[in-house]
Amino acid sequence: MKRAKVEWLASCLGMLLIAAAVSAQLAPSSAYDSDRKVKLTGVVTRIDWVNPGAFFFVNVKDSSGTIANWAVEFGNPLDLEKDGWKPSSVHIGDTVTVEGLPARGPARQALATSVVLARTGAKLFVASNKPAAKVASQPAPRWPDGHVRLGPPPGKKGYWGTPSATVLVENTGATIPMNRDGILANIEDADKVAPFQPWAKSVYEYRQRTLLKDDPYNRCMPPGGVRHFQSPYGFQFVEQPEIGRILLLIGGGDRNWRTIYTDGRPMGQKDTLVLTYYGSSTGRWDGDTLVVDTVGFNEKFWFTNGGLPHTEALHLTERFTRPDLNTLRYQVTVDDPRTYTRPWTGGWTIRWVPDEEIQEFFCEENAESTFIR
Amino acid sequence: MASSNPMRIPAFHVGCLLAYMGVAVSGFAQQGHPLTGTWNGDWGAAPDHRSQITIVMAWDGKQVSAVINPGPDSAPGSVSVDVVGWTVRIAADLKDQSGKPVHVEADGKLEDLGSYHRTISGTWRQGTTTGSFKLTRE
Repeated sequence: MKRAKVEWLASCLGMLLIAAAVSAQLAPSSAYDSDRKVKLTGVVTRIDWVNPGAFFFVNVKDSSGTIANWAVEFGNPLDLEKDGWKPSSVHIGDTVTVEGLPARGPARQALATSVVLARTGAKLFVASNKPAAKVASQPAPRWPDGHVRLGPPPGKKGYWGTPSATVLVENTGATIPMNRDGILANIEDADKVAPFQPWAKSVYEYRQRTLLKDDPYNRCMPPGGVRHFQSPYGFQFVEQPEIGRILLLIGGGDRNWRTIYTDGRPMGQKDTLVLTYYGSSTGRWDGDTLVVDTVGFNEKFWFTNGGLPHTEALHLTERFTRPDLNTLRYQVTVDDPRTYTRPWTGGWTIRWVPDEEIQEFFCEENAESTFIR
Repeated sequence: MASSNPMRIPAFHVGCLLAYMGVAVSGFAQQGHPLTGTWNGDWGAAPDHRSQITIVMAWDGKQVSAVINPGPDSAPGSVSVDVVGWTVRIAADLKDQSGKPVHVEADGKLEDLGSYHRTISGTWRQGTTTGSFKLTRE
């Protein structure tokens, strides 16, 4: 019986650690201190080639001879593999010198900006910086009935990849300096981002000042709203005209999907819907543009990078236009009268990744393997 | 023999699960309007003399509404908030223990804005009695 209790206790502790670890996955802006630098030299003790951040662990000896184990994050495996790196690029027992940004807080953790293998002097995990191959412009593929296909041409593979912008701001033409997580260079620019109600502006500024530390997405909550179009690792449309729906398969987050009904049903009524992360979507074609109305969002997520708030009253109208094979224009109108003083519109373009498929990615993968140590 | 009771392990496991959920839920963040939701806590003039209170607040885009102690003895309340300093005033007309009408005014400050379990604490005036209160969002 005692042994059973111990096993349950171990199980319980494991669950608690996993829960804590999920809470520990933060975006670079909130996890690492870009105002400080750290240099570490030590022996690699473990390599975790996992999403969303690959880590190796090094035993670092300080001036007193004490050894401490550091976790070093060095990139996303999907990106690393595209640049030709493999888990075997570094081995347990190798001595490496790491330069990088230390974690905020007391954790012995760093984000590597440089990794050098001591025995050869080779720099590891450097981006190839190969320019993207130029793809000849081709017309957008079409279905037999003339509608633009949002997925691959018949018999081909491909998916929608990197967006031209990772933040959503009102399309006013104003220049608003911010990083790719949506953190403003100047908090005074908040009014240029969107027409906030006073409470929403206050919440937005709080989230900005705290470097988005409370972002549910960093705890692997689903990227609802427009967030899945800002996230890395792409998405794919699976059009099923015969049953009147389009599935949107999301490569980031936790490989969720979203359903857009195109069978002519009316838009859902907010009062009767079960509120969800992706809401209830209905779509219709306006010429070559798919227009999607979505309501029924819950409030358990941040609907865009940068911490813009929303309420259950959020109504998104998205317009997807494919002017050629390689380009998807995404425009979204945000209508949430409880949060914003008027509807507002923003958008970006997204590039087609030909002849490839979305790779496996699970946000939660780090939870088990990286932080329990 | 108590330790051989097979029910003890499931009970322990439930405890684990609740503890796990506690940790997981604590990871959730502030959502929607910061005052929206159900708030539980107490007020009183002394630490050993407290009265439980529940306030349900909702934001309709123009104002925050409140229901004090939902149920048979519930009363509507009015809420004003300064969204810069996140100070909150709640006013309501309740009934005291003898059933007599009593006016309540509570002035508090919203703390830990980014947390799911954010709090409001401050001064609670009920009739001629003044005390402290603390509410935590469920």
